[in-house]
Parts: sequence; C-alpha cells; structure tokens
Amino acid sequence: MPEPRPSGRPRRAAAHRSLGLSPRHRAQRRAQQAAAQEPEPLQPETPQLQTPDQEPSAPAENLQDGSVAEASNPDRSQQDQSPPAPDARRRLWHSLASPGRGQLIAAVILFVVGLGGVMQVRINNADDTYTNARREDLVQLLDGLGSESRRLEGEIADLERTKTSLQSGADTQRVAREEAEKRVEVLSLLAGTVPAEGPGIRLRIADPSGKVDADVILDAVEEMRDAGAEVIEVNNAIRVVASSWFATGPDGLLIDDSPVSNPITIEVIGDPHSLEEAARFRGGIVSEITGPTIGGQVQIEQLDRVVVESLHSPVPNQYAQPASPPPTPR
Amino acid sequence: MIPLIGLIVGILLGLFLEPTIPLALQPYLPIAIVAAMDALFGAFRAYLDGNFTDRVFVVSFISNVLIAAAIVYVGDQIGVGSQLSTGVVVVLGIRIFTNAAAIRRALFHA
Repeated sequence: MPEPRPSGRPRRAAAHRSLGLSPRHRAQRRAQQAAAQEPEPLQPETPQLQTPDQEPSAPAENLQDGSVAEASNPDRSQQDQSPPAPDARRRLWHSLASPGRGQLIAAVILFVVGLGGVMQVRINNADDTYTNARREDLVQLLDGLGSESRRLEGEIADLERTKTSLQSGADTQRVAREEAEKRVEVLSLLAGTVPAEGPGIRLRIADPSGKVDADVILDAVEEMRDAGAEVIEVNNAIRVVASSWFATGPDGLLIDDSPVSNPITIEVIGDPHSLEEAARFRGGIVSEITGPTIGGQVQIEQLDRVVVESLHSPVPNQYAQPASPPPTPR
Repeated sequence: MIPLIGLIVGILLGLFLEPTIPLALQPYLPIAIVAAMDALFGAFRAYLDGNFTDRVFVVSFISNVLIAAAIVYVGDQIGVGSQLSTGVVVVLGIRIFTNAAAIRRALFHA
C-alpha cells in the first residue's frame, strides 16, 4: 500500500500548503513565534513520515495542532489565506457534483448526530421546567412551598381541633341524653307512668270478715318499701306511687279514690326473698292479718317475673314549683 | 450533498418517530453530541484542506463520542460529573471554534 489515499488530494494539499507557506511567510512566522512550538510547518510532512500501512494524519490531531497554532497567534490568519481558498471551493463544488463513499459515511454519521440531537432537544424540552431554573429561583420556590405547607399544616391542625371538639360535643350530648334517659326510666318507674316488670312477690290477702282497712294496707306497703320494693300494684289495677293515699270509705278500702275489692292482691317488684321475709317476720303483716283481730289469710309466692301494667296518670303540680332551675345536662 | 440529506433525514426521523434512549444513557447524550459536532467540523475542515479520509473520520467520530461519554461517566462515578462535563464542553467548544475558523478561512478567505 504505497498510497493509501484515493485521488491525489493529499498531494495537492501538500502542494498548496507549501505553496501557501512561501519562504517569506515562513520567515515572518518564525520571527513571530520565538517559542519553540511551531506545529504548522510540520503538518504537511506528517503523512510522509508515517509508515504506509498507517493512516495519514487523523483530522482531529491535525486540527488540534492547527488550533494551538491558531490560538497562539490569531493575526497569522491574514497571511495564509489566498492560495488554499480556490482549491477548497473547487473541492466543495466537486463534492456536490460527484458524491463518493466518504460522503455516504458522512451522511450516515450526520444522520446519527441529527437523530441524537433531536432526541436530546426533546429530552431537554420535556423536563426543563426546573432544570434550567437558577438557584435563587429554586430557593425561592422551595421557600414558598415550605411556607405554604406550613400554612396548610396549621389549617389541618385547626380543622382537627374543630373535629375533635365537635366529636366530644356530640359525645357529651350523647352521654347527657343517656343519663337523661336513665333518669327518665327511674323517675317514670317511680312515678308509675310506665309499665314495669321484674322479679318479686305476689301477696294474696283473703279477708272474709272485711277487717283489712287502710292502716293494714299502709303498713303492708311500708313494710314492702322498707324491704326494697320498687314497684307496687294493688289488685292489678292500682299503681302505688309517692302520692298514693289510703283510706277506708263506707264501701270499704280506697286507694287513690279507687275501691279495693276483696281479696286483695298486692304485686311487688323487688328482691323476692327480702320481700317475703319482710312480710313474714314476727309481728309483721302476715302475723297481723292472720292474727285473731282480723282473722284473714295471707298467701305469698315468689315470682321470677312480675308484670305491672297499671299506670298512674300524673296530675300536674298546681302549687309546687322547682326552686332552682334543673341543672343543664352536659 | 448526501451528508446534508443524511442530517435532514435524521432530524426528521427524530421529530416524527420520537425515539427515546434509555434513561441510563441520557446524561451522556449531550456530551456525545458535542463531541460528534467537533468530529464533524474537524472532518469538514480536513476535507476542505484535502486530507480527509473516511476511515479516520469514522474512527475519530466514534472515539470522540466514546471518550467524551466515558469522561462524563467517570466524572459521575467520582462525583465531579458536572465539572468534568463542563470541562469537556469547553475543550470541544474551543476545538469547534478553531475548526470553524479554519473552514471560514478556507472558504471565504476571511
């Protein structure tokens, strides 16, 4: 391979270079470049120094040298311009007219470069909202976001507090309502406005001689209450409440203005055992009724379930008023 | 003429097909493009000067791109990626300007 290059281009280049660098120019340049580095004159000879199988002067290396020379003395660009220009232009036109293998390779590489460049531009455009922002802008942006998030956190805390207070308010209201309901239960049982059921005893008083009067019944009720009676009913019809009264009328016994027929049945809700004991103790109701004075009979049965369905209709108080307002439920 | 057509076809393909490169290679693409531009300008200058060789062109193109990408990669690995890529861009930019100046002188005598 004595001559690796196609077409006589290198020779021409060498020719024009040596043409361009006339002895006068060289002398001038030497004068300008006192320093030892002077790569430009060596360039035309580089291909000749290489062994035949080596590639001639890589463009990059050449250019590196050229760039150093160019950078070191820019004023020299005025000097070696005239001869190579027509040659270069002619070569350009020639290449436009008759493309060769080198042009195909250049086309392929330019294709790759164009593709890569477009891809890079696309990537750059895709996410350049913050990548191209300056540091101060970013810091400001971050600051803004931080304060915004602090503000929103405060808002969240406020809303959480509101939520908690509302929840606890609802809770207290619910608790108060439960309390009130419990009180209503207790009080309505006490006032006899609702039916009641529960364990208790049933007391049957047989009084053939009709000697059981209000005192005896009042005694019986007192005994029962003493033993923890919660609800008392007489004859399945009369609910004994706080305001009940007992009297002996011309036709016999009266409770709350209702006549009580014979035999008398008293149903009591409470602890059955205590109630029976309270009725049976010595000198109590049973002994009083079965005693010689009255001569009646008393029958007591403990029941698991006593149902009291008679109600007491409450009369609104005419004179009494609560002295202080009732406490507000909380 | 053919290289220009290649460039235009590449740009058009990139515009219309919207190819994407793997995310891992994205940091090296810009540097590779700058290196490729340097090789292209160098080749054009060499062509105008008459000592253009396609084999040298291809080899220098590929090696430029690979070395630039490798420098950035190494810089990324040792934590000075942005500084190294800046340095590479500066050097390649100087070379591009030098080549452009030579081309300008060859073509326009100025």
